[in-house]
This record gives sequence, structure tokens and C-alpha cells, in this order.
Amino acid sequence: MPALLKQFGPLKNPDHPLLALGLEGSANKLGAGVIKHAPDGSSMVLSNVRHTYITPPGEGFQPRDTALHHRQWAFKVIREALDSAGISLSDLDCICYTKGPGMGAPLQSVALIARTLSLLHDKPLVGVNHCVGHIEMGREITGAKNPVVLYVSGGNTQVIAYSRQCYRIFGETLDIAVGNCLDRFARVLNLSNSPSPGYNIEQEAKRGKRLVSLPYTTKGMDISLSGILTAIEAYTQDKRFRPDGLPKFTDDQDIITPADLCFSLQETVFSMLVEITERAMAHIGSKEVLIVGGVGCNERLQEMMGIMARERDGQVFATDERFCIDNGIMIAQAGLLGYRMGMTTPLTKSTCTQRIEIKFDRFRTDEVHVTWRA
Amino acid sequence: MCWLLGLSRSGVNVPGVRMVDASEGLLGIEWIEGSSVKRLLPSGAEDSEEGVDGVSAEDQNPLDAFQLSVDALMGLIGVEIAKMHLADIVHGDLTTSNMMLRRPSSPDSTPELVLIDFGLSYHSTLVEDKAVDLYVLERAFASTHPDSEPMFASVLEAYGKKMGKEWTALRRRLDDVRLRGRKRSMVG
Repeated sequence: MPALLKQFGPLKNPDHPLLALGLEGSANKLGAGVIKHAPDGSSMVLSNVRHTYITPPGEGFQPRDTALHHRQWAFKVIREALDSAGISLSDLDCICYTKGPGMGAPLQSVALIARTLSLLHDKPLVGVNHCVGHIEMGREITGAKNPVVLYVSGGNTQVIAYSRQCYRIFGETLDIAVGNCLDRFARVLNLSNSPSPGYNIEQEAKRGKRLVSLPYTTKGMDISLSGILTAIEAYTQDKRFRPDGLPKFTDDQDIITPADLCFSLQETVFSMLVEITERAMAHIGSKEVLIVGGVGCNERLQEMMGIMARERDGQVFATDERFCIDNGIMIAQAGLLGYRMGMTTPLTKSTCTQRIEIKFDRFRTDEVHVTWRA
Repeated sequence: MCWLLGLSRSGVNVPGVRMVDASEGLLGIEWIEGSSVKRLLPSGAEDSEEGVDGVSAEDQNPLDAFQLSVDALMGLIGVEIAKMHLADIVHGDLTTSNMMLRRPSSPDSTPELVLIDFGLSYHSTLVEDKAVDLYVLERAFASTHPDSEPMFASVLEAYGKKMGKEWTALRRRLDDVRLRGRKRSMVG
């Protein structure tokens, strides 16, 4: 793990090593991780354990079952995270958990676990915004200084840039998230959900040869994906579509295979993402792009973003599945940064939120006060 | 790029076309002596590594060089966009970095606002497209220039005045467009 030194900003180096446990469970992954911030300003990932709730092909994950999965696996995952870090719960300085946004039932289960641990061992709680967790982990791992962030996952699609202690959203999806779009198409094709539907779409797309025409829907800085999903689903009812990917008879040339559809879907939606990211870069004058979130480990997306960045004389920062896909360590990282700035969540406020429940408790990425950056 | 010629004919301030070589894919346009609007307005961003032209420290307002108030600049922006929309051209990427303020050639003339970068522009008569155009600019203001609401309000005021009759429908549509996006309101 690269040890990165932070030189500027309001964040002071701690006077003794700090340890944080991060618990993540906003969707179908349950994650636990331990991070250490050393007095020289470097940080070190001590453990990063994850267990994913995988449903049969053709099915998504339901909140109730996902929450049950998290409750069943919590002890095992947390125990493993502590053991491989070689520490016990009493060594921790704080316990960080995902406050939101995400699916209600799984969030509540993990918040409950965090509260219990906090009371048992008398450790302060820190509630963390999931999106900010992704961004902070990406910055820590890649060393990107002030990048334009593309946050792409099953629940979110946002282009983000930092300004005045807030991550500001430049563009986002108007309807469904890009990961959701890919996952749902994987379900239509009956692709496996293991290790993730998006991964199987990516593998399938590598064999695609034919680019079918799909709507290209950028709207200003925003994009819309639900119509594209409908359009690509319609191709599976097309006369030329061959579910097995094989010609029906010898002269059967004009065919569309599942691989072609996966390829076309990826090319179209990724182009849209690259376009809005490029516009944000041009406007801000930044030469760095950081890709975070589950879809961020798609190598085709990284490649396309790389081409764009090279043309602009810039650089792409991306991480692999350990840090891209939801994990506990990113919650620990963002939580510990907050903790060092004196932000803790009292027990009575240790709620979680799916999206925006009440007017005064909004939880969009741009509503979090990022105290640890200048 | 034929927009550029059409637009300048409609009286919109855009860079003049100097040379076109279609076979080589080259387009030569006028050099505009001045500064991008983005640099002229206070920004909240952490300075990028390159810095903003090295010197421009915060103690000196870059707009002073143009002898223009922020409000007057916003008025210029509003009028210029309205002229473009009246010619039924949608810019497609309206941000403060895609606008320049031309330094006046003689001391008694006023600075001109020039719209640049028509790479994503297209022809449209639809209220929807024009409203989205304005919305893009509003978001660009909000994300790069802190506390920009009053600034954008004066852009809209000048824009509305110039647009005349069309403004009523456009304003209503702009309100609709603002409501789009996820997890935005208290609904659901």
C-alpha cells in the first residue's frame, strides 16, 4: 500500500496512530475494513473484507433479503477484518458506518451493528456519506490531488468536482444509475450475478462485433439512461436477435448476438459518461479524472476515459475492484478524516437515510461539509 | 461550424471565421484579446497546479481592468444568449469558460461579450432545448462560482428582457427542468 504524505489543508497529523473500523452495507455488499493513520500523515489499509449477496441469474436483490444477508454475515466479516488487521475492538479510535444513501433495510442493519459495537466498547460513532467515502478512498489510493470525479455505481452516476469544502455535482443521471442500467440488462440476458452482473456484461461485450444504434441522451451536463435500457431490451425481441449467438442456418449473416448488445450498450453509455466528464474537466481546467464506484472497475470505461484524458494531456486515476466496489475501508477512511476534524455522530443522531427523508436531513453528495480539505 | 457565420450575421458576438480548409479539417478563427468570464468571477476552487495566470491575487478584482461591474457583465451575458436563442441556435455547452470578454479597442468603447466553442451547438426552435441550455449555465455558475444565485438571476433578467414574448414559456420550462434529477426534492 503506498504511504501518501499530505502536506496542506486544515488536517493536522495525528499525534499518535489512529485506527478506525468502517462498516458498509448500503447495497448487496457487506464490507468491513480497518485503516490506520500514522503520525507522519501516511495511512495504511490493515484489512478489507467483503461478502456479497449474490442472487440467481435473472433476479435482483430485494432489500429484506439483503438485510438478512448482512445480519447473518456481520460477525464473520467483522471478525475476519479485525483478525487480519491483528487488532481487537478495544484498540479502535472510532467506528464508522454508512449513514446513506442506499437501500433502507440493509443500511439499518449495519447501523444497528455499528451502534451495538459502539456501546459495547465505548467507542465514538462516525456516520459517513457513502459517495464521499468512495471519493476519499479513490484520492487516498491513487494520490490524485484535485480531480474531476466520475462516480459510477449501481445506485449513483455523478460527475463531481471539489469547491469550497463541498463536492459539487456537475452532472448526474436524471433517472437510473449506469450500474443499474447494465445490471438490469444482464438480467434480461440471464447472465450470472457472480461475481457481479456488470462484470459479466463486460466479458460478454469483449466478443461483440456489431454496434447497434441506440439513443444517445445527454441533456446539458446530465444524462438519461432509462430510455436506452428500453431500447436495448427491444433488440432482444428483434427478428435478427439470436439468444444463443449462433446463426440459425448457413447463410444467416444479418444477426444480433447478446455479445453485440452488451458491446453496443457499453459503448453508448460510456461515451456519454466520457462526454460529460470531459465537459466538467474543460470547465474546471482540471487535468485529472478519478473514476470511483462499482462500474469504475470496468476496463473498457477506464480505456475510453484514458483516450479522452490523453487527448487533453491529462491523466486517469482508477482503482481495482478491491476499492472500486463498495467496501468497508472507504467508510473507515472518510470517517477517520471526519473524526480527526472532530466530527462524531452521537448515538441519538446515529440514523441512516435512504435518500432524502426530511427536508432538513438531505444527504446528497453536495450537502456534506468536507472539513478536512482546504 | 456554419453556425458561426449565421450567428455573426444575426448580430451575436462570436469569433470571426478567418479560414476554412474542409479537406484538412482545419478551421481558423479570430483571436479574441481578453479574458474568459470564468477567470473574471470569483471562484471557490482550490487553485489548480498551474495557478490562474500566476499572479491574479485575490486582493485585486480582475473585472476592474474592464471597468465593468459584475451586474453589468451578467447583463451582457443575458443579452448575448438571448440573441443567440432568438436566432434559434442552442449552444449546448454554456459555461462561464465558454464566454470571453473582449478588451475594448479604444478607451471610450465598452467591452464586448463573445460566446465561444460551438462544438456542441445545434439548430432548434424548441423551448425545451433553450431551457436546458440555460439550466446548464445555471449549474455551471453554481458549481464554479460560489454564492452565484444573484448573479444568475441578473443574467436571466437581462435574458428575459431581450427575449420578449418567448420568455414566459421559457421561464416556465426552466422551472420544470430544474425539478429533474434524482434525490433532489423531498418527494419519495
